[in-house]
Amino acid sequence: MSAGPIEAHVAELSAALHGPARLKSRMLEELRGGLADAAADLSPEPDTDASADAARRAVAEFGTVAELAPAFQRELTLAQARQTALTMAVLLPLLIAGRHWAGSSGAAPPLLHLTAVNATALAAATALLATVFLALTGTLGRRFPAPGGLPLAVAWTGTTAAAAVGVGALTLTAAAVLSANWPLAAATALLALASHARIAATARACRHCARLPRADAFTL
Amino acid sequence: MGRLPTVRTDAVRGHLDGLLLAALEAGPLHGYAIIATVQERSDGALELRKGTIYPALNRLERLGLLRSTWQAEGERRRRCYELTDAGRRALADERTAWREFTSAIGSVLDPALREAT
Repeated sequence: MSAGPIEAHVAELSAALHGPARLKSRMLEELRGGLADAAADLSPEPDTDASADAARRAVAEFGTVAELAPAFQRELTLAQARQTALTMAVLLPLLIAGRHWAGSSGAAPPLLHLTAVNATALAAATALLATVFLALTGTLGRRFPAPGGLPLAVAWTGTTAAAAVGVGALTLTAAAVLSANWPLAAATALLALASHARIAATARACRHCARLPRADAFTL
Repeated sequence: MGRLPTVRTDAVRGHLDGLLLAALEAGPLHGYAIIATVQERSDGALELRKGTIYPALNRLERLGLLRSTWQAEGERRRRCYELTDAGRRALADERTAWREFTSAIGSVLDPALREAT
């Protein structure tokens, strides 16, 4: 059987899709296998002209790239949104706890203290939202279908969290200089910087996915 | 049996979850076998855009209605899906909703049938 039309079709679809690589690779592998099965059903004899024609017919039966991409992209976009929400839900509580253990910034200048408190409050609020997003795109989605704007909301919540963590990292760095417990404050500042980079990157990927066309839940 | 008239994609929309769950009721299947089961049971009458089955299966798994694992088959591997307990309950709910829906529509379209029952 000729794999040409099938491989070309899967490659074209792959180029049109964006999102977590693992899920993308898994869904495309399943599609490739299904196309091979369909082509084998249409022409059981491999490596003949008939099998090449069967592969083309299988590709036509499964749908064009324009027809398939929105349904695949919907799942990839939601997976990216879940990844962004999970990153926030894991890292932000760690950072808040780290800041707590590093000690209060009350001894710092008032502006620095106020900035640290606000950044922590913003990080806590975005962590809470991230948990809600995870629930809405998981099993809770059986009762409450995820609204179309949810991935973009996750993306901007992630961007806000990245900004709050970035500001938090700066205040922690300043606090480390002033704090009696400076090693822990410095370690938390480093963790905050790494978290800022991680959350900002996943939020950027989520914003990109959220802008791509995708199908509604029940489109075949 | 003669081939039934084709039910187009847009008419099937909204029932895809129930169709996929029902195809998996008897036991685990991979994606193409699920497509084949739906088409065989409908005598080819349901027109599916076959390629979109794969994201639909992923969606049902994300919602906790299915679970899946890779299974080796010769040089290839296939992703096999099976119903979870929540998936079985969702299938029962889909069936109940469908019976109520067809009963209500049937009562209006065919009043004689309602009087007979």
